[in-house]
Amino acid sequence: MVHLSLANLSKRYGETLAVADLSLDVEKGESVALLGPSGCGKTTTLRMVAGLIAPSGGSIALTGRDISTLPAHRRNMGYVFQSYALFPHLSVAANVGFGLDERGVGRAERDRRVAQALEQVRLVGLAERKPRALSGGQQQRVALARALVIEPDVLLLDESLSNLDAKLRDAMRIEIRDLQRSLGITTLFVTHDQTEALTLCDRVAVMNAGRIEQVSDPRTVYDQPATRFVADFVGRSCILRATRETGGELSLGGVPITVAGGIPNGEAFDVFLRPQRITLAASDAVVAPARNRLPGTIHGVVFIGDRQEVLIDTPAGRLMVETASGGVRPTTGDTVSVSWSAEDTLVFPVASA
Amino acid sequence: MNRTGSANAFAGLLLVLPAALLLTALYVLPMLGLGRMAFNETGPTGAMIPALSLTTVLALLEDSFTLETTWNSLWLSFFSTVLALLLGYPLALFLFRTTSRFKALLTVLAVAPMLVSGVVRVFGWLALLGDRGLINATLMGLGVTSGPVRLVYNYIGVTLGLAESLMPYMILALLSGFGRLDRACEEAASSLGASPWRVFWRVTLPLSLPAVVMGTLLCFVLAMSAYITPKLLGGGRVFLLATEIFDQAVTNVNWPAAAALALYTLLLVMLFVSAYSALTRRIAP
Amino acid sequence: MREGAGPVLGGLAAAVYVLLLSPVIVVIFISFSADSFIVFPPSGYSLRWYERLFASEPLMRGLRLSLVLAAVVTALSLLLGVPAAFAIARGEGALMRTFKAFFLAPLLLPTLVLGLALLMALQPWRLTATLPGLALGHLVVTLPFVIRLMVTTFSTLPDEVEAAAASLGASPVQVFRRVTLPLALPGLGASAFLAFLLSFDETVISLFLSGPRASTLPVEMVRYVEGRTDPLIAALSVLLIVGTLLIVLLVDRMAGLTRVVGR
Repeated sequence: MVHLSLANLSKRYGETLAVADLSLDVEKGESVALLGPSGCGKTTTLRMVAGLIAPSGGSIALTGRDISTLPAHRRNMGYVFQSYALFPHLSVAANVGFGLDERGVGRAERDRRVAQALEQVRLVGLAERKPRALSGGQQQRVALARALVIEPDVLLLDESLSNLDAKLRDAMRIEIRDLQRSLGITTLFVTHDQTEALTLCDRVAVMNAGRIEQVSDPRTVYDQPATRFVADFVGRSCILRATRETGGELSLGGVPITVAGGIPNGEAFDVFLRPQRITLAASDAVVAPARNRLPGTIHGVVFIGDRQEVLIDTPAGRLMVETASGGVRPTTGDTVSVSWSAEDTLVFPVASA
Repeated sequence: MNRTGSANAFAGLLLVLPAALLLTALYVLPMLGLGRMAFNETGPTGAMIPALSLTTVLALLEDSFTLETTWNSLWLSFFSTVLALLLGYPLALFLFRTTSRFKALLTVLAVAPMLVSGVVRVFGWLALLGDRGLINATLMGLGVTSGPVRLVYNYIGVTLGLAESLMPYMILALLSGFGRLDRACEEAASSLGASPWRVFWRVTLPLSLPAVVMGTLLCFVLAMSAYITPKLLGGGRVFLLATEIFDQAVTNVNWPAAAALALYTLLLVMLFVSAYSALTRRIAP
Repeated sequence: MREGAGPVLGGLAAAVYVLLLSPVIVVIFISFSADSFIVFPPSGYSLRWYERLFASEPLMRGLRLSLVLAAVVTALSLLLGVPAAFAIARGEGALMRTFKAFFLAPLLLPTLVLGLALLMALQPWRLTATLPGLALGHLVVTLPFVIRLMVTTFSTLPDEVEAAAASLGASPVQVFRRVTLPLALPGLGASAFLAFLLSFDETVISLFLSGPRASTLPVEMVRYVEGRTDPLIAALSVLLIVGTLLIVLLVDRMAGLTRVVGR
């Protein structure tokens, strides 16, 4: 069942179009990430859903009812701000109870629900503290509890983990995911961090320049990016220039390649290869030419710890292959061969300059 | 290392010393002289008698006129400060929030009266509030009143004029204190269901309270010692501590009385400032 | 919806602007009045009050004195204040902190009390109603003000830049002349402007220290307004406003007044 529906939503600031004709349906209980570089319009979209800014066009509907013109305070959206935006003059309990006061919830009921919300985010015993006396992670939890306690129709998270250090971020990620799942709350999550988007959400909407480039489950976004931008932005890639042979086939450095998804129209192409999806094999002799296989020489090895990056010069250009760091150590100057499957061959037309 | 350190300290002292000596001569010594003056006496002819007595101070404290002018000064300062706050707050909040590209110009415009001589502004108020000024011309033109309403040369005019002259200071104090006012907090409140009025009442106002305390404190102190505006807009009918100090010193040339009254005013202001700070520290730490 | 200031606040602000600026605007109209009294709106317009103004000997004498006085006071304030501010901003320790508190203390005192104290202190030296006496009186206000502004200016300069200049072989004097001074120039310009204006507009201390021999323009204006209510002072006010505006624009070009006032 579609819960939140954005239809042809747009936002214009003077000459610039921050959000352009954006449509997105979110199911009840689903969590969707808006992923994109800064300035792509993802936060603008989230703020329009919350009612903090007015759209220039299009509509926002909740369970079929148009809420585009409702002011923020009549929308019942739980918004978690990037800066948390905790009220510095109020205690933790008063922060969490703020929305309940505005809804005219009675004192006893409010106290009960505040206590319950603080328990949910594991902040029992800190109710009377002021926000500035809390750590970053604790502040984040207060913001989350404050947004959840009003039982919002949709939970809106704006880069909510970006102010935490790496370790805490991993822990909070799991915590938020579990909470969202167990409450079955519809969630829209804005982030520029792909790990966050891919691990936290049922579906990922990759945004660029105010538009959605692709909406899919995390695996599809990674394995079958719909556009060149998505392939480039999500995950890492080695990019090689391919040429079109007279027969219509593509070749890399003279080696013909097979593409699973078929070849789009156009003249010039770039082939995107994921560094972990390339197989590296030692070769004593010159390898027989084969499809999706290139000979090469090791240019250098970058040791990262559990992994290593092997830089290889091939006739088609320099490739980077990521392998586990155990076992045989590749040596600079070795001749090798690299190969990959047709499914992992991502082909996009060269962007016209 | 140590030698260059002490050499630097010596050089620093050399740079500071001329200014320090001048201010000692022009500020420390005169203030001590003022304090000493209050313990001299004034003879029946008005001539000063060097003495070391409490006669002047006691006479001042026993005079019922002192109490009257004290009340006048306190009330006038209170009302003009409140008025400056009520008018300055929306303007400061507007300047803080506006995204207009004329923001800098609007800010300068708001504090511009500070750069114009006080006498000029008082003159403007005379033209607005005088018997044949804009307000009275409008009132009589509309037939609201048959004769002019007295708006200047009384406490109404002085309060208005003083409030206007305080407003730039109030606006500057509020603007510098609005730093804690986070737009995201206001947005959070409205996303939690608070209407614009409730957002103001529950978030904006409490967060700007330190700024309000700073602004009102500054304006009250300035109002208590304001002289030009009450003198000219009061037209000799408004009796305040400030006007009284000047009259005693210059018109009556009764220096001991003027000095005693100045010290009395200074102590009064200090008392109010510390009481107010203590009170507000408890409310808005 | 909630971008910028919103229409309610904007409307309120506009109303306050009208109230705040109305006295100044009214003055401009009155200055061109043809009437002999302050009547608003005037029954006719003329330049007669401007003519009368330039013919007024006491006001013109006051204007000349005030200009000379403000120039002298500004020069002295910078001469004494800038080195002191530099020493305070660069120096460390309790001594310089004490000096700073000492320098800023006069700003906390009402000018009414300062004026009275100065009158009593300068009278025995026969310095009242003289240019030197008035200059000394104004310095009590302008010198601390310049020191405060310049301490802020010097301490907000990036000190690494000075260290970088020194590491490149510049002597302390060269560092000051080639790095510190150019960087501090906007603050210096603003200090000079505000010191000049502060002295030129100073009324209360001048009222205590003026006399028949020497009387500043604001003092003469107060005397005039006390005695008569005709549009002459309005004409003078307009000239002062225009003059101030010109200097403001000049300084804004140089230093950015908004930055200075915004502190």
